[in-house]
Amino acid sequence: MREGDMQGYVEPSAIRMKVSKSFDDDSSLSKNNSNVTSGDFDSGVGMNTRKNQVASQNITMNNPIYSMKAKFGIRSPSVPNFQDSLYSGNNNSTPILNNSRRFDPGINKNESNNMDTRKYWKENADVDSAKETPIDNNKTHDDPAMSVIDLYNDDDGYSRNNRSSMGHQLEDYHLESDDEEDEDSENNHESSEMLAAVSNAEFLPKSITLNRKELNTEHCDRYGFKKKNNYVSEETYNAWWEDYSGYCIRRKHKWLLLLQKSGLPVHNDIPVRFPPHSEKLKRYVRKGIPAEWRGNAWWYFARGQEKLNKNKDVYSNLLLKMGNLEDETQKGKIQDLDVIERDLNRTFPDNIHFQKEAFSTKEPVMIKSLRRVLVAFSLYNTKIGYCQSMNFLAGLLLLFMDEEKTFWMLVIITSRYLPGVHNVNLEGVNIDQGVLLLCIREYLPELWTEIESSYNGYTKNTPNNSANSKNLFLLKLPPITLCTASWFMSCFIGVLPIETTLRIWDCMFYEDSHFLFKASLAIFKICEPDLLKGKPSHRSFSQYSLTNTKQHRSNACQDDYDMQMFQVIQTFPKTIIDPNDIFEKVIFKRRLQLNRLDQNEIDKCRKYVAVQRQKHKNYDDIIGKLGNTSPFDEKSDEQNLHGGKFIDNSINILGKDLKMTSEMVNEALSSEVYDFKRGFSGVNWNNSIKERVKHMRKKK
Amino acid sequence: MSRANKSLTKYKIVFLGEQGVGKTSLITRFMYDTFDDHYQATIGIDFLSKTMYLDDKTIRLQLWDTAGQERFRSLIPSYIRDSRVAIVVYDITKKKSFEYIDKWIEDVKTERGSENVILCIVGNKSDLSDERQVTTEEGEAKAKELGATIFMETSTKAGHNVKNLFKKIAKSLPEFQNSDSTPLDDNNESNTANNKAQVIDISSTENENQGNCQC
Repeated sequence: MREGDMQGYVEPSAIRMKVSKSFDDDSSLSKNNSNVTSGDFDSGVGMNTRKNQVASQNITMNNPIYSMKAKFGIRSPSVPNFQDSLYSGNNNSTPILNNSRRFDPGINKNESNNMDTRKYWKENADVDSAKETPIDNNKTHDDPAMSVIDLYNDDDGYSRNNRSSMGHQLEDYHLESDDEEDEDSENNHESSEMLAAVSNAEFLPKSITLNRKELNTEHCDRYGFKKKNNYVSEETYNAWWEDYSGYCIRRKHKWLLLLQKSGLPVHNDIPVRFPPHSEKLKRYVRKGIPAEWRGNAWWYFARGQEKLNKNKDVYSNLLLKMGNLEDETQKGKIQDLDVIERDLNRTFPDNIHFQKEAFSTKEPVMIKSLRRVLVAFSLYNTKIGYCQSMNFLAGLLLLFMDEEKTFWMLVIITSRYLPGVHNVNLEGVNIDQGVLLLCIREYLPELWTEIESSYNGYTKNTPNNSANSKNLFLLKLPPITLCTASWFMSCFIGVLPIETTLRIWDCMFYEDSHFLFKASLAIFKICEPDLLKGKPSHRSFSQYSLTNTKQHRSNACQDDYDMQMFQVIQTFPKTIIDPNDIFEKVIFKRRLQLNRLDQNEIDKCRKYVAVQRQKHKNYDDIIGKLGNTSPFDEKSDEQNLHGGKFIDNSINILGKDLKMTSEMVNEALSSEVYDFKRGFSGVNWNNSIKERVKHMRKKK
Repeated sequence: MSRANKSLTKYKIVFLGEQGVGKTSLITRFMYDTFDDHYQATIGIDFLSKTMYLDDKTIRLQLWDTAGQERFRSLIPSYIRDSRVAIVVYDITKKKSFEYIDKWIEDVKTERGSENVILCIVGNKSDLSDERQVTTEEGEAKAKELGATIFMETSTKAGHNVKNLFKKIAKSLPEFQNSDSTPLDDNNESNTANNKAQVIDISSTENENQGNCQC
């Protein structure tokens, strides 16, 4: 019955699923390490007998087969039963948030997300009829739920009353006022009361089974992160959370109504499908996806299932391969393994799910999952292998979804959202920094002036720079970019407080990678006053004669300012505890120019920067070879992000640099074929590029 | 300490070395005198600044903590460029991290030339003597070979030799070597809220074993 063992690549403890969902059986944890314990449900049992069983809810819910099915809309007849139990309900997509976190925060009982059982998922998915059972949304507020809530309410006093007593409501509603059909918020008072209560239970877990772990979860947030850090005190956190949790509850209520309206099922409080893209949904996403839905929502919006379906056996095969590696002690041959190993315990050390249990030497389940995901990835994508920061990406994903999904999301993030960013040469991150700089230049000109002048100071000692174009900053990135590089590499994990990070992730998966730039600009926007505060005083009257200023300004003065700027950029984001500081103050302000930034623009920019960097490199190579010092073309550098000027510029340069191979020209051109939403219309642009190509060919 | 109000000489110190050898930990020990078993992996670069008193003089140290993974090396050179001190850290329990220091030192020398920079080699985790893979002698020999100014073994966990290290570094700065040093002009003493500079007096160092130094 332990088929998992046959596959031989997972250590015994990982084979077993820790099926202890009910309040009283958390003791099973200690047992299920090495034995198929009586009393507790072994995954094998669950899987083998699954078909015959109208299983107890506990079993069904902890069975990954079911999890998968529930997620993918494949359901066996017994599944709807679990709706009756809130305890078991949310297992599938958000193991931490909904199970372990709520009832035993220390341990992800859904041990390792059971990648070893993938095989069965597939088999059973085939066998089972994909019967859709009509779902009654009201079930979410069933009695069991209420009983749990009562428990919670007694415990922490953060009751549903809290919601109505919150003074900030009015204030918040203007933020939520997008919902034209907002009558719901007031009219459906009763259901929202219930929801509030349900949500409170989820948001403010203070489980009665916590005693298993010596951890005081009072000091942790709902994801298991320590509330307090160097930048935010626990008091600050709690004070903010009191408001924000109310906000989350109201948002969730709206989401539920939206889904109901769209006729989408919500299983046990967790939807598996979401409405099609629309402005309205975009607003909803920007205002935050309910935390316990995030796993499913991200997966859905990032089209993870599509990816998984195309690559059905890939992950399990990778795990097999990984198992073989261990057997043959080939580990040493793969450099990444060692590197990954050293980062495992340095991934969220302040999160209880990544910590060892007190008095235990047993490796946390999360760490095991993390290892498998990262190693599998490094085997899957050898171009990237393992890059520091991916541990954080995978770690955060694991808090919201199972292992295999995490793996595929990691694949999606590193290819679609952050192309090349984690590659061995980190060229992608350099490109993105270049793009960010261009965005700053365009949207935050005042700040750009400072960055540029600090940069000029910084490069003044480097040879040849006077000859190079102003675009030099795209090649030799200014110092602040090593700080902002980590914003992109880890998608703001560790840069912003967790709730803020998650809100950005919501938008990233829904709106694509340009949102990362938008968020970066928003951060710069809100810390701009701090950044400009200490700028050297004699700057003010010399805006139009920067070159002179540079000479006058003393090194130390500039240096001080640079350091200060660096420190603000490094520190300030860590204090943005309230996501709405970013969203309300910047993202939702339609008048702000930076909100015109869209994906096309970013794609275009990325290509532009890539070409520029390549060109510079080629140029440098050529110069290096010829010993030539002829100045690089810089004629059209005054352009901005709009319109086709970027292309103009790159083509100009391409045309002038006769050393460019035709390959390069082609590459440059093909990389620039994009529609422009603003300034130039598509037709104009195409005409203009046509002409230029003609012109260039003539020249040749 | 009237000096502190007038002008402070600033020195940029960059921490290099393979991942997980204890760069962040070394800085944290120096800055806050604390230690955690696990620090979050550093991505990119972290900047901290600290004011230090020594022999009646005050200097400001700017500490640059870098990511250790090899691929990040391509990002770091610009930070090495104008740093006065480079601290290359290895883990005495990991031979590989020791072998790796050559590459870092090469980077430093490329960017700075060997004369302009105070090069320190630090073997960290000396508390784990059972797992030691690199002997002190090997470390010393390497330091000599690479022309490092300072070699020292430290334990950030036990707090061993950390203050000594920084004291020694400070002592080799021009500020403390001759009165001729010309501190950079500092008209803009930044005392902003964000500038979390701290002042410590390391004149009274703890009684700990002096590391091996080859100046």
